[in-house]
Amino acid sequence: MAETTQLELVTPANIMVQKAAEMVVAPGAEGLFGAMPRHSPLLADLVRGVVEVHENGKITDRFMIDGGLADVSGESVTILTERAENLATADRDTLKARAEAATGGEADFLNAVIAALQ
Amino acid sequence: MPSLKDLKTRINSVKSTQKITSAMKMVAAAKLRRAQESAEKGRPYADRMQQIVNSLAVKADPSAAPALLIGNGSDKTHLLVIVSADRGLCGGFNGSITRQTRTEVARLQGEGKTVKLLMVGRKSADALRRELGDLYIDSLEGIQGTAVSYADAASIGETVRNGFESGEFDVVTVIFNKFKSAISQEVTLSRLIPAEVDSTQSEDDAGAGVSYEYEPEEDELLAAVLPRNISTQMYSALLESSAAELAARMTAMDNATRNAGDLIDRLTLVYNRSRQATITKELIEIISGAEAV
Repeated sequence: MAETTQLELVTPANIMVQKAAEMVVAPGAEGLFGAMPRHSPLLADLVRGVVEVHENGKITDRFMIDGGLADVSGESVTILTERAENLATADRDTLKARAEAATGGEADFLNAVIAALQ
Repeated sequence: MPSLKDLKTRINSVKSTQKITSAMKMVAAAKLRRAQESAEKGRPYADRMQQIVNSLAVKADPSAAPALLIGNGSDKTHLLVIVSADRGLCGGFNGSITRQTRTEVARLQGEGKTVKLLMVGRKSADALRRELGDLYIDSLEGIQGTAVSYADAASIGETVRNGFESGEFDVVTVIFNKFKSAISQEVTLSRLIPAEVDSTQSEDDAGAGVSYEYEPEEDELLAAVLPRNISTQMYSALLESSAAELAARMTAMDNATRNAGDLIDRLTLVYNRSRQATITKELIEIISGAEAV
């Protein structure tokens, strides 16, 4: 397998994802960017959007995040975000129920996740 | 000398108290495990956020830095965010927060500053309402418990930020109990605005010779990070405080259970002694009665 970079997706509640990836595509405030191994150190503001994890030239995981920060170095990508959902395991009905129970930013985000699933 | 019946009642009542305290201890211990876990899980986020703020803050141009980082140049009005528990029966937990608040308010007022208080948790708010109630800008309840939600912390963060931006206060400090271990908590003061920057740590980071690229520019990025950092700090304070509260309750209830056990032993001794004394007395009466015949 090719060289990898260590992806960490951290939310206030836990470390959601910790895995090696060939490339991570993140929604930067100034546009999407891809981070591969040996990327130069970068600190970027993120907006709401989808983080894609690439392995063997294919997208293996997709996570919806609600803005945040990315700290990219040569061997790791750390994404700090207040909310995140794994689009592969997310279930529309549960999300809908949660969106109805939630208020403000959270409900807004969950609705965006539902929209992204469609 | 209490009668045997009185003693028996007393022993029974202490026994039922002991049952309650030991149940509370058990509940606190079970909840503590969960609270501790979530406090630990929350740490990576807070730590990394702090690192990023540190490394940005050191590089920031002091003349153009955002007010959230360096303050607005004045320190006349202080806001203290007091984090106590909603419930009692947790030993010195709320007491020490209340005491620290009183000292801090007295100190600041002694220096001629204006103090405002934002109370989180019912206990300290109630304890101080009579003497400091007119300083309260708000008093929040029901935020703490087993599940502290980030949304609550973020909304407190927002209140603080809005107040700061509209010039209601210049310096914001949080007072909370930090969870050190299951048997000890530490009253901690942590400054939210201006942001606390650990310059030694970030110099170490910078020493590695890493030159970061920033997207967008440093100043804009800093302005985006700082508000989030406030919510994060608030969240970790709430998590720490919840874990500390449960730990304090567990220890307090453990002590109470042990004390109740001691009391039961002592009362049982007295009970047995007086029972024996009654028997002896009755025997003497019978024997001397028999001899007299």
